[in-house]
Amino acid sequence: MREVGAVIARLLILIARFWQLVPSRILPPSCRYAPSCSAYAIEALRRYGALKGSWLALRRILRCHPWGGHGYDPVP
Amino acid sequence: MKKDDQKNFVIFAVLAALILFGWPQIAHWFFPQQQPAPVRIEGGKTKPVANPGADPTADSPKALRDRQLVIAETPRVAIETPKLRGSINLKGARFDDLVLVQYAETVAKNSPPIRLLSPSGAKGNYFAEFGWQGAGVQAPGPDTIWQASGTKLTPTTPVTLSAQSATGQVFRIELSVDANYMFNVRQTVANLGTSPVSVTPYALVSRAEKSTDVDQWAAHVGPIAVAQGGANYVNYKDVDAGPQGFSTTGGWVGYTDHYWLTAVVPDQRMPVQLQQRQTPTKSYQADYQLASPLSVAPGKKITYSSHFFAGAKEVKLLEDYQDKLGIAKFDRAIDWGWFGIIEQPIFYYLDWLFRMVGNFGVAIILLTITIRGLLFPIAQRQFASMAKMRAVQPKMKALQERHKDDKTRQQQEIMKLYKEEKVNPLAGCLPILLQIPIMFALYKVLLLTIEMRHQPFVAWIRDLSAPDPLLVLNLFGLLNFTPPSFLAIGVVPILLGISMFFQFKLNPAPMDDMQKQIFSIMPWMLMFLMAPFAVGLQVYWITSNVLTMAQQWLLYQQHPALKEPVKKEAKAK
Repeated sequence: MREVGAVIARLLILIARFWQLVPSRILPPSCRYAPSCSAYAIEALRRYGALKGSWLALRRILRCHPWGGHGYDPVP
Repeated sequence: MKKDDQKNFVIFAVLAALILFGWPQIAHWFFPQQQPAPVRIEGGKTKPVANPGADPTADSPKALRDRQLVIAETPRVAIETPKLRGSINLKGARFDDLVLVQYAETVAKNSPPIRLLSPSGAKGNYFAEFGWQGAGVQAPGPDTIWQASGTKLTPTTPVTLSAQSATGQVFRIELSVDANYMFNVRQTVANLGTSPVSVTPYALVSRAEKSTDVDQWAAHVGPIAVAQGGANYVNYKDVDAGPQGFSTTGGWVGYTDHYWLTAVVPDQRMPVQLQQRQTPTKSYQADYQLASPLSVAPGKKITYSSHFFAGAKEVKLLEDYQDKLGIAKFDRAIDWGWFGIIEQPIFYYLDWLFRMVGNFGVAIILLTITIRGLLFPIAQRQFASMAKMRAVQPKMKALQERHKDDKTRQQQEIMKLYKEEKVNPLAGCLPILLQIPIMFALYKVLLLTIEMRHQPFVAWIRDLSAPDPLLVLNLFGLLNFTPPSFLAIGVVPILLGISMFFQFKLNPAPMDDMQKQIFSIMPWMLMFLMAPFAVGLQVYWITSNVLTMAQQWLLYQQHPALKEPVKKEAKAK
């Protein structure tokens, strides 16, 4: 079970990495936070694993909109 | 370039090269072109039915012959409706000859209509059959010659077929058809014998060849079965490996092409067993069979009612059948996928626009304008903040230089700068991520709708659902050669590349050299990537790019101060 979680986390990190390397480079800069949502997601997945990591990343993305907060917001 | 960036650039370059040169392969997988129909060799004799008692399987022909000859060989009842022409074979009571008169095979003026069903014994045989498995009774089989009550099946004249068994049962099939593509099939067994019999109604669709449309990642082509409230998009490969069975009450089974569908629909209130399988003669068969037999006492009769759909997957029509006939998930004949909830409203709006303006290309442009209009407030905010960011960029660069070894510190300083300069923070990641499903839904709608098929736009574009045929590399068809697929660039994709190039030009100057390089390659790479897509999709992208530029222009009008740096930069270049 633990190993499955690790594999899923790695996969999700790869997706975030791909996002950073291709689509994100084409699109205009958009993230209100530092570190950016994708960097945040990668760190969260690395430190907390697939389940809690994705939850943290999802919450971060959900507050990254014009009426959300902004500024320095590292992974807890 | 910093070391980190250099590494990133190498990764990006490798990915870019992979995409550019691997694209024909990827494209072939995701967006396959039509393939020539596989050639099938018909050998051997009529195949033995594996288990005749419980397993209705259609026979197979001995050799392929001309379709017209085969059709002329057996007695038939003609089918004539506003949308269908064909006939029912009285030998075996089969639907095996049907064309869709409203849809042509190609855009050529003299193109024949699409042929959906074809008799056993002719090329590409594809037919449907309704019958009974019997116990204590000899049910009519594929060689039974049925008696018809009329010569022509039309929406106003139903036809009843009848046959009698040696054991004293009368079998009747009452057929009626609506003005579209749905047949109603009522099978009655009257037991005139002296002992009870039990019968199990079944129906099958037999198909010798796979569709010439290719199964796509975003649009399923092949076997389909709706069971237990869910659609199963089965692959031929899975069927080759073994029969796929589904037990359900309410559902249907059949074959879907990109635009066409055949489906046999059992009585939605009685439990049935659905199957998708390959017959021993390597043709494909979709069938259903009632889960438990119906028994008919002497002197009694029993009727089983079912439906047969053969026609085009017109969205509105499928939904009507689902609502009015109560057919479970009939709208899933179209592989809407995850974003159906966004796709269907987009489709209905597009269809409405098309009926208003009469040109599908113009309808796509209007649809794009609407969607971009709805997203405009988000974009406006994004652009406004980007424009301001641009104004503070020199300071930003200085900050990056100063703290280039401490990324966290650098970010903190940048955030502080935002506050000092009263720069609006950016719109955020969520708006961009939310746009992805919308754009994907738009793509799928354009991919799936039969309404776009064979629709002209302007000038040389006679089919918006196909790639641009006017290729540059063979001088617009003057030279008699077909360029390799990844160089098959039409005029529309080039317009797409140009529009993207200018759109990128208007973006704020990238922060570092690597990004600058990427921005200069990107439009041309995307041009190659998008060339194999349907022209309708490219029309959408071009419109979208032009609107982005208009948006930028509007914004610069609103913030005249920002115009200056752009002009200066343009001169510097």
